[in-house]
Amino acid sequence: MRSSPESRTSSNVSDSAGADNGGRTGRIFNIQRFSIEDGPGIRTTVFMKGCPLSCVWCHNPEGIAGRKQLMWFDVRCIGARDCLKACPVGALELSSDGMKIDREACDGCGLCQAACPAGAIEVVGRDITAQAAFEEVARDEAFYRNSGGGLTVSGGEPTMQPAFVAELMRLCRDAGIPTALDTCGYCAGDALERLLPLSDMVLVDLKVMDEARHLELTGVDLATVLASARTIAAAGKPVWVRTPVIGGRTDSEENIAAIAEFIRSEMQPVVRWDLLAFNNTCGSKYARLDMPWELEGTGLIEKQHMEALAAVAGSAGCEVHWAGVTARESDGD
Amino acid sequence: MAHSKALAAEELWNPSTELPPRVARLRDEYVNIDERDYFRNEIMPFTTGTPWDTVWSPALWGVVPDLIPFYKAFVETLPLAATRVDLPEGFWDGPQVVRVATFFHEVVSKYLPVQILDGELIVGAQFNTALSRAQNKTEAKEWRKRTAKWMKGIEELNSHGMGNAGATPGHLIPDYPRALKMGLRGMVEYFQDLKSEASSEEHIQFLDALIICCEGARELAARYAHEARRLAVEYEEAGRKAELVEIARICEKVPWEPPETFHEALQSLWFVHMLVMTQESYPGPGVSPGRIDQYLFPYYEKDILEGRLDRGQAKELLECFWIKPNYAYDYIYRVGRTRGITSGYGQLITVGGHGPDGEDVSNDLTWLMLDVIEEMNLLEPKPNVRLHGKTPDDLLKRVAEMIANAQGAPFLLNFDENSEAALRWQGLPEGDLWDYAPVGCLENTLQGNDRSGTVDVNINLAKAVELTLFDGKDQATGDRLGPRTGDVRKFKSWEQFCAAFETQLMAMLERFMEFYNYTDALRGGFEPTPYLSALVDGCAESGKDVTNAGPEHNYVTVEGVAFATAADSLAAIKKLVYQDGTVSMSELVEAVGENYEGHEKLRQTLLNKAPKYGNDDDDADAVARYLSRLWTEEVFKHKTPSGRRYRAGYLSWNYWIAYAPTTAATPDGRRRGTYLSNGLCPVDGADRHGPTAVALSVGKLGLESVPNGDSHTISFNPSMLSGTERVDKLAAYLRAYGEKGGTALQINVVDPETLKCAQENPSDYANLLVRVTGYNAYFVMLGKEIQDEIIARESHKL
Repeated sequence: MRSSPESRTSSNVSDSAGADNGGRTGRIFNIQRFSIEDGPGIRTTVFMKGCPLSCVWCHNPEGIAGRKQLMWFDVRCIGARDCLKACPVGALELSSDGMKIDREACDGCGLCQAACPAGAIEVVGRDITAQAAFEEVARDEAFYRNSGGGLTVSGGEPTMQPAFVAELMRLCRDAGIPTALDTCGYCAGDALERLLPLSDMVLVDLKVMDEARHLELTGVDLATVLASARTIAAAGKPVWVRTPVIGGRTDSEENIAAIAEFIRSEMQPVVRWDLLAFNNTCGSKYARLDMPWELEGTGLIEKQHMEALAAVAGSAGCEVHWAGVTARESDGD
Repeated sequence: MAHSKALAAEELWNPSTELPPRVARLRDEYVNIDERDYFRNEIMPFTTGTPWDTVWSPALWGVVPDLIPFYKAFVETLPLAATRVDLPEGFWDGPQVVRVATFFHEVVSKYLPVQILDGELIVGAQFNTALSRAQNKTEAKEWRKRTAKWMKGIEELNSHGMGNAGATPGHLIPDYPRALKMGLRGMVEYFQDLKSEASSEEHIQFLDALIICCEGARELAARYAHEARRLAVEYEEAGRKAELVEIARICEKVPWEPPETFHEALQSLWFVHMLVMTQESYPGPGVSPGRIDQYLFPYYEKDILEGRLDRGQAKELLECFWIKPNYAYDYIYRVGRTRGITSGYGQLITVGGHGPDGEDVSNDLTWLMLDVIEEMNLLEPKPNVRLHGKTPDDLLKRVAEMIANAQGAPFLLNFDENSEAALRWQGLPEGDLWDYAPVGCLENTLQGNDRSGTVDVNINLAKAVELTLFDGKDQATGDRLGPRTGDVRKFKSWEQFCAAFETQLMAMLERFMEFYNYTDALRGGFEPTPYLSALVDGCAESGKDVTNAGPEHNYVTVEGVAFATAADSLAAIKKLVYQDGTVSMSELVEAVGENYEGHEKLRQTLLNKAPKYGNDDDDADAVARYLSRLWTEEVFKHKTPSGRRYRAGYLSWNYWIAYAPTTAATPDGRRRGTYLSNGLCPVDGADRHGPTAVALSVGKLGLESVPNGDSHTISFNPSMLSGTERVDKLAAYLRAYGEKGGTALQINVVDPETLKCAQENPSDYANLLVRVTGYNAYFVMLGKEIQDEIIARESHKL
């Protein structure tokens, strides 16, 4: 069903390599203002498109592929069919079953989006200059200043577009806006080395501590992630570790204990660790991208389980938070 | 964002379970109006008994157009149900202002029922009246003639959805600190001194009227003292007996003498305040006590320092005081509780803010009052909190925490720097700006000397767009409402369109100001309010009534309704018709005329391809600013013949719903009947970039030309504000809003699931408060249409 981790990874990387054209433009899929989940204070998060990982639980699947992708929103579509006429490669087909998108043919040119009056078709992925991204980020300067917030570059994976991200961070820092790098840890060493000096803090994911399981669930090898984590720790910046808690995948006490041990012994500057309970609301995004959603039907984590994991996590020696929807609260949803 | 489940009734912001038993009982007693057959503060009409008497005035209720169908009935039937008051010898010899004063004196000293509720420490129960205007036959005839003409005018404006206007009572802050400091006796002595210097007979008679009113207040207090002594004899229980003796002592002293203790000050304030509602025959709206944490503080501090009172006792007194203003709502017990009218009786108090030197002046009483607000969970007095750059962090966090824990923030937030910038633009004295406070919902005024006629004129800005598209005609009826500005389909440029729009808008403004001038003269000439005039600085000195430009500062506020609907309509035309050329004006006019039936593609284009105000989008915001500056600067150029300057504000009360059916489809993609935008808020669903972007959009409007201030509501899902970390982020957001946003902000923290649950189970959710349009309201008491609107508003927030 899924392609092998290796091929996914290489294809993801090569997809977006073209976007990092010396940093002149970056390929992003969202700029989220009033972001209150991605670091301290009120922030703006720039989501970079393209990720070397393909975690089965990914709640931003539109960030995985580096290429531009179409999303069609059935509830908005009024059947005007202007998109079909606009498409130069005939990649769209609208029938009573909905929109069929030929994803091989579609190159994300965006003419369909421009033609649609109803906003029912969107190109995910936009090429933007660092200066333009900076100007958008800088709009909320007053909110960062009053809250201790700033820019977070997330993804996708920011280190895959290091020149753009470096330039964006530099512009922000020159303007007095603090910066945060949010990375999955699977990074080329030089990209990380380039971005760490420009980051006021780092958010890094540690998901699974068993090597085989890591490869199976994320598509990449654990050693590279841990090496990055050590590099990040060595940079001496404040670090927040984040762990998605996914039932049957990452939610064992052994796994959390292993991450705690790694943090305690090898990541001294970690100031905070967030356990993020599995979020099941992203299924529709997979459908819109014609991607399989393997966690269909997977249950939410129970509150007591989150509390137990948070207690285990305490041995990491840093502040531990847990957040997210839990099974008890969303009964009946 | 995660799906959330409705909050259970016990998870809502509820009254504290720790309230002192007496306070809990008094609160329950107030809430359970149906069971309170021994006491309801319902409207009590009093008449001179002449066949031409009037006790109720349509022009005073012009801004409540829901009442238009009842105007005649109220005018004709209320006198029939009225208690006839024995008039003293020579009553008809004096001028009307003296007659009104005498009538007031007679009613409060002999007729107004006096009742002390079980356990209450602050007394003064019955105050809702409909008092005779004490007109003689000639005056009454002229008043009726003019009122009939006025009613035609309001009907014409309202039925076409243009707006409304009225000489609204209340909506000001009397000089209560002066009344406390001098006592009414001291004020009477001052009025006597003025009499000896007055040069005209008219001025002397006016001062006599003020004196008569103050003496009436003294008489009423004496009646309460008497009642307390009577009850003290009856009561067996020693504790209550002693309380009643103390109440009697206090009522024998205040408000005539200056209070010396916190209890005396609260009692004096309540008497003086409730009688304003009695005299104006208007239940509450906007008669606002102002900065009570400031002027009550010396009494509080002295009692604490001298060991007369501890903090707990002070709190209990405050809680007893807190219940009293809520009884204004008994006014409409019989006419029903729909349409949100029931919740808009904003007797605003203001806490926090800075002093003349710019330093914060919050004090222990500020904190105590926040506790009382949180624990009481009542509609009145409606609290406003003034925030500024130097508001201490702990106070700001306390405020943010209360917002996060209460579904509709218990208070409205006023931002001092932005509010004062606009009052400065208005030309008020620089040295007085620091002491401003809001009235009604959020309308900024100075304290004690300023009648700014807030909410007196309400104009539907979206109607000007409609009139532009249809050459001055109402789209539905074809009635001509504005000048001919030409066939819009033949216009060649955006500039040409703007010129036509400006002509229509200016003509609307002119028409409204003309109508209001007439209204102002109608009230000013026939309905003096000498008791209120005694309490507002400048009236006694000038010899002019508060209804007749007597105060030191006199304005009339024009409130802009449907601002964002109009702004987005203009932005869509500018971009799609004149810049991109993707929409033709002919097609647009046709589609608007057909309410977009069969024009869904065009409607979607307007919704999705045009820039929208509220997204920090510079194109949309520039158009919005153009619209705002255009009309707000224009009104400021005009004055009433009585000398009141017009000024602008943004408050839409319930008009954004009321005028939805009478406003044609709009070029922003809205269909006729869909609600208009509210206050300064973006069109529902149009703001898609979150709370920082919307704050910045508001801040770009150049709001200094809107001295009244603006109603801006934002909503957060409760899950976004749970936990101390997020409360800190909210506090930071508020600081930044003060730097970048508007003058006033209210916050709803509620999810649609809870609201739907409340709609279905109203009895379980009786305490659920939400912010509506500048005030908070019990959700289940609102009309279904407003409830649905609020649910829709919350539902589009992710």
